Amino acid sequence: MKHLMSGLLLSIASMGVQAQDKLDLNVLEDVLEVQRKFICSRTEGDVTYGYFEGKMYSRVEGERDRVLFNLAGVNIRQCQDLQDPERGKGFRSVSREVMLYLDPETNEVLRTWDNPWTGETVNVIHVANDPVNMRRPIYMYRADGTPIEFNGLFKNGRVITSFNVPLFYKNPLGGEYQDYVGGTYHAMEMFNNYAFEDEVLDRNNMKLTRYNYSWTRVADWLPWMKMGDRVGIMYTSVIGARVATVEDIPDPLLSEMKANYPKFLTPPPLDDDRPNETTWVITKAAIDAERGDK
Amino acid sequence: MLKNSLIALSLGAAAFAAQAQELDISDPDQALLATNKVFCANEPGEVALYWWQGEVYSRIPGEKDKHIFNVQGMNVRQCGRLEDETRGLGFRSVSREIMIYLDPETDEILRTWNNPWTGEDVEVMHVNNDPVNGRGVSWARDDEGKPQAKFEPQRVVNGMVLSGGGAARLFYNNPLNGDYQDYEGGKYHAAEFLTVAYPLSDVLDVSKNSIQDAVISWGRISGWLPWMKMRGRTGLMVHYTHGMRLHDWADLPDVLRTEIETNWPKYQSPPPVDDDRPNDTTWTVFKRWIDDKRAKGEVPEQGPR
Repeated sequence: MKHLMSGLLLSIASMGVQAQDKLDLNVLEDVLEVQRKFICSRTEGDVTYGYFEGKMYSRVEGERDRVLFNLAGVNIRQCQDLQDPERGKGFRSVSREVMLYLDPETNEVLRTWDNPWTGETVNVIHVANDPVNMRRPIYMYRADGTPIEFNGLFKNGRVITSFNVPLFYKNPLGGEYQDYVGGTYHAMEMFNNYAFEDEVLDRNNMKLTRYNYSWTRVADWLPWMKMGDRVGIMYTSVIGARVATVEDIPDPLLSEMKANYPKFLTPPPLDDDRPNETTWVITKAAIDAERGDK
Repeated sequence: MLKNSLIALSLGAAAFAAQAQELDISDPDQALLATNKVFCANEPGEVALYWWQGEVYSRIPGEKDKHIFNVQGMNVRQCGRLEDETRGLGFRSVSREIMIYLDPETDEILRTWNNPWTGEDVEVMHVNNDPVNGRGVSWARDDEGKPQAKFEPQRVVNGMVLSGGGAARLFYNNPLNGDYQDYEGGKYHAAEFLTVAYPLSDVLDVSKNSIQDAVISWGRISGWLPWMKMRGRTGLMVHYTHGMRLHDWADLPDVLRTEIETNWPKYQSPPPVDDDRPNDTTWTVFKRWIDDKRAKGEVPEQGPR
């Protein structure tokens, strides 16, 4: 009898705790917390490691697609807590990102690449973008005063978020007349993120631990490939997951970062206000430096 | 006394079961059981239902990609189980597949589509491929009896198997084109990329005939769909979707479930395991569809020259 009673009491208590401990998507503060879980840790300054791997292919009309590279990358990120008198509670992420181009046969880090279309050997410029920061912080209320929403799909104990970003803007490597003569930066980035509902809605969970994603990008040639105006595009197919610590980043990525990109093993400071880096900006600097040397 | 011994017994049984319950994936038969769980099921007659939804974009040089459709799709599958003296265990998968095109704003099923590049209203042909079967049998061993089936996850993070990050590159003769495609062009040229993530523990658990908790992403880059009537215009289509394995038919979103029940009822179940018809693709299905319309005089034999 006594046991039965304590059993009952326990289950009542745990029911109460359950209700309280669940984030409620009808409450705006909680919507912000759920949003933040998909981006970073809810603890200011706590670092997350987003690892991914896959392949990059070419598509040229009239030929079978080629495997150009294996890919391995990581985004290392933290978030700052913000509070705005009008827009309420908020946060902003800061990160650094590395993605290596690897030999598709041996998975070794490429230093040079033999371009199969031009016959030229070019220097490989791996993605090493510092910083990759949120351009605008996320608050409970948007700049126009409307409340934010969480657009995740809840189904069978899973939560999936998905977004596609068509990019079409002035190419930093192009001239001042791109609307007239072409050369505009043209790409599409596609993201799917997969989490578990029990973690997503757990108020006491500060950081998703079981979290994976897929990423695809369709874009023109990378500038360092030196393809000029040749017709064709590239696409990536990538899968990844959040890993717990730096040491959980698989090789060859981790060794290469330790050897050649040590500062990318930690995120930038929380108040970092530098402009974001992209491959185009970095390649421009590299080309300009090489030209200067000559 | 009785109570205690019962507890001990059940504990012992549980511990014993836990030990015996793991597949030994070094054995090719058991490795095959492991891999077959992901997209199918080891129990004959058990149906595997996968569902996905997403967006379709156009990509034309010189213009920003346009969001032209939403899509909802599903594949319903079963596996026939075979035994062979030399080759050991074998599975053959048979399936049917539907993917419907929806208005990108309203998510309503499209019956006709106003092509923004040609200005023409065209009839929409949804993907209805019957069958989409495994081309052969997946055997545990080759025809000399050497082990062949392997379960080697490329990456496991926090107990989740991450699979994918590659593409099926398709480049073959287009059934809608002639006999000189190597000379004249017009080959079917596409890439499909699938990723799937699922718990390793479910793979190894002998008591589970299938992985119920699997999430997928599927994408495709291809030329225009034939029913869009693009007449060879430059440009590509990009599909990108997310989805998962569903536990039963009622889990499908209403828009897709109702459309199938109303207009494609046979797609509620997979074909028989001994189905030996050739596979369908959008291109073979389109050819039958348009040839039928031509025979009925609903469309002209050839468009404007």
